[in-house]
Amino acid sequence: MANSPLLVPGSTDNLKATTSKSISKSKLSSAPPSSKGATPEASTKASNAHAPVQDMAEQMNEEEKHKYVKADFEILYCPGKKLGEGTYANVYLGHLVTSPSTLVAIKKIKIQAAYTEGLAPDAIRELKHLQELSHPNIISLLSVFSSKDQNLNLVLEYLPLGDLEMLIKDTEGVRYGAADIKAWMGMLGRGVWWCHENFVLHRDIKPNNLLIAADGEVKLADFGLARSFSDPYRIMTSNVITRWYRPPELLFGAKHYSGAVDIWSVGLVFAELIIRTPYIAGDTEVHQISLICQAIGTPSEDVWPGVSKLPEYTVPEPATPVRGKDHYLATFGTAGHEGVDVLMGMLVLDPRKRITAREILEHSWWSSDPKPTKNEDLPRKGGGGAKIGEDLKRRPGVLEDERGAKVARKLDFGGMK
Amino acid sequence: MYRNGPKSAPDPSSNPLDDICPVCKSNRYLNPSLQFLINPECYHKMCSTCVDRIFTSGPSSCPVPHCGRTLRKKGFRKAFFTDLHVEREVDIRKRVSEVFNRRQDEFETLLDWNNYLEEVEALVFDLVEGSAADKARAEEKLKEYRDAYREEIEGNKRVGKEEVEGERRRERAERDGARARRLAVAREAEEEKADVEKGKRDLLERLANSDGDASAITRQAQKVILKKSSARRNITEEASESNGSANSGLTIRGLKKRVTPVEEKPYDPFGGVDLTPARYTVQESYDNEWLGNAKKDMRHMAGGYSLQEYYARTMFEAFSGLGVFIEEEVADRGQKSDPLVATAAAAEASKGEINLGHKMELDDVF
Repeated sequence: MANSPLLVPGSTDNLKATTSKSISKSKLSSAPPSSKGATPEASTKASNAHAPVQDMAEQMNEEEKHKYVKADFEILYCPGKKLGEGTYANVYLGHLVTSPSTLVAIKKIKIQAAYTEGLAPDAIRELKHLQELSHPNIISLLSVFSSKDQNLNLVLEYLPLGDLEMLIKDTEGVRYGAADIKAWMGMLGRGVWWCHENFVLHRDIKPNNLLIAADGEVKLADFGLARSFSDPYRIMTSNVITRWYRPPELLFGAKHYSGAVDIWSVGLVFAELIIRTPYIAGDTEVHQISLICQAIGTPSEDVWPGVSKLPEYTVPEPATPVRGKDHYLATFGTAGHEGVDVLMGMLVLDPRKRITAREILEHSWWSSDPKPTKNEDLPRKGGGGAKIGEDLKRRPGVLEDERGAKVARKLDFGGMK
Repeated sequence: MYRNGPKSAPDPSSNPLDDICPVCKSNRYLNPSLQFLINPECYHKMCSTCVDRIFTSGPSSCPVPHCGRTLRKKGFRKAFFTDLHVEREVDIRKRVSEVFNRRQDEFETLLDWNNYLEEVEALVFDLVEGSAADKARAEEKLKEYRDAYREEIEGNKRVGKEEVEGERRRERAERDGARARRLAVAREAEEEKADVEKGKRDLLERLANSDGDASAITRQAQKVILKKSSARRNITEEASESNGSANSGLTIRGLKKRVTPVEEKPYDPFGGVDLTPARYTVQESYDNEWLGNAKKDMRHMAGGYSLQEYYARTMFEAFSGLGVFIEEEVADRGQKSDPLVATAAAAEASKGEINLGHKMELDDVF
């Protein structure tokens, strides 16, 4: 037993197997030359010992791996089983071995040439933070296992209804109102609040990363850039967050920042939800700064003490005064007075004066009219996943279309008299 | 599946034995009115004459050799299926489905419902094909279930009956509607025909009696007929429209039952979770030499670095090591599957250090 101090409840059989093998191995090593004249029994033992012995970690990994299957859904899902392909991972549709209807997304991290030793940092960031955060508005990490060639696989919950970007872009097919926006912002706000309360900066909030679950719940995903709050004097990179959603302090190269960077992104998502096009979409970082100056106002020492000390502080001339509430009301009036208040709070230039995630959720906007739409009533884009979800929910024998007339009814032996 | 047997069609499976009573050996060829009966006690078939002969005087044992079950005349009936195995299975299914009459709405997920159906199917299989021991066990199960869920079974039976009743009513209404429509159409056609006839007659009369231009009169008469028919068409259209709106309440299929709306709670932006630390309070500021420089450093402050966040994190980290309450943790263990952690203690448990059961521990790599 000294060889294997690890004890896992429930896998005692495996344990016995390994210990017996390891014991025979040690015997072998203690007296290797004498094994030639050994009894037949001993020789079989020896041959057993030559078989590859898995250590405890490998066994646990195998156990975890065999809980999930990559679905073989070519027939059901026309495009094939691959759900998506990113720069550093492929996402496959899978399901639990024990229940084929419980779908999961399996994110298989690609091996990257740049990181020959160990894992890519984005994979580690995602793993590290997702396993600590458990909230309805944050995608949940169900399991992790490694497949052949040491490929890392993250098993995530399957969110079939696409993302907010799809809804925003589909101006023809999807219509939504102030109450729907409020519901989405509520879910996004809760997700960000939960991250910040648990000392995690997401650093890549954008509509593309807000996925929608089958029940309409919006979930914060892609923690590839996340990190935990930094200590004082410890610098962080300012080269994070997709440009359109990047706050001015990061554009000015600040190395010490806080959760306020995420709030700026949340504000721009809010604005984008209302006007259905990216609000501040710069082509370069300099362009982004000048657009911010036009849309919100030029950051100056008056509105943002100390801003000129930031390493890459440059603003275009002439300076634009900070916009007042009527400017926002003209563009974002559909959100209502209080909604515009929240939006303005999120888009304050000075990060210290920006509203925090907790303050967003404490705002009186939530209790004012209109009430946020309930999840089941939220508009959704009819996709393949949605269709299949509907099919699964339908009662057998009850068909909504004309097919019902032609299909035989369920045999009802109880009704037969 | 044959319902009334391959009587007319000469089928290879048709057995001459089918027409001979196994008890008295009388033959359908000699006695065309021969009728076979069975008793669901043992499913041995015999002709009605035999049943009368043997069982009129009271219960008696089955005349088929090696059976010997006590049968009563009352239990005999005509078999619905020629194949008595099918007949028996259907009877068993009827009996089982009277007890296991759960509905899909009662199940949380499709999987649960399917599992239930499979269980019932296994029970039926045991009853139909199983050995004597299997049968006894299945019967025992059936009885147990009936005793355990008597009320629910009754409730479901009532719901099922109502449903069947509703379906029947709807069908009847549809049938009646269709018949009424057919009659109306027939009457229409007849009226139209009569009208045309009458128009023609009028025309002929007018042609005979008046001395005006013949072609002018014909044209006028045709116009009148056309006008009448179009007017009639309009009337029928209107009628059908009004009919449609009146019937629409009856013909909609697949309506879900209305659920009385639950009293809505006020919107909680925090989703019912309170993360205010329960065991300590974070102060506005802490005096510390090491932090003093950061407070004064413009790059920290202008970049928005929040010392409040730092205080909150350090306080949490400092206390999370101390705040290990084994009893609370054990009590929370049951609730951990719930993603919405409601209580403050559970919220704390899910916060960072104490991981959810199935998640692995990883060292801090940064």
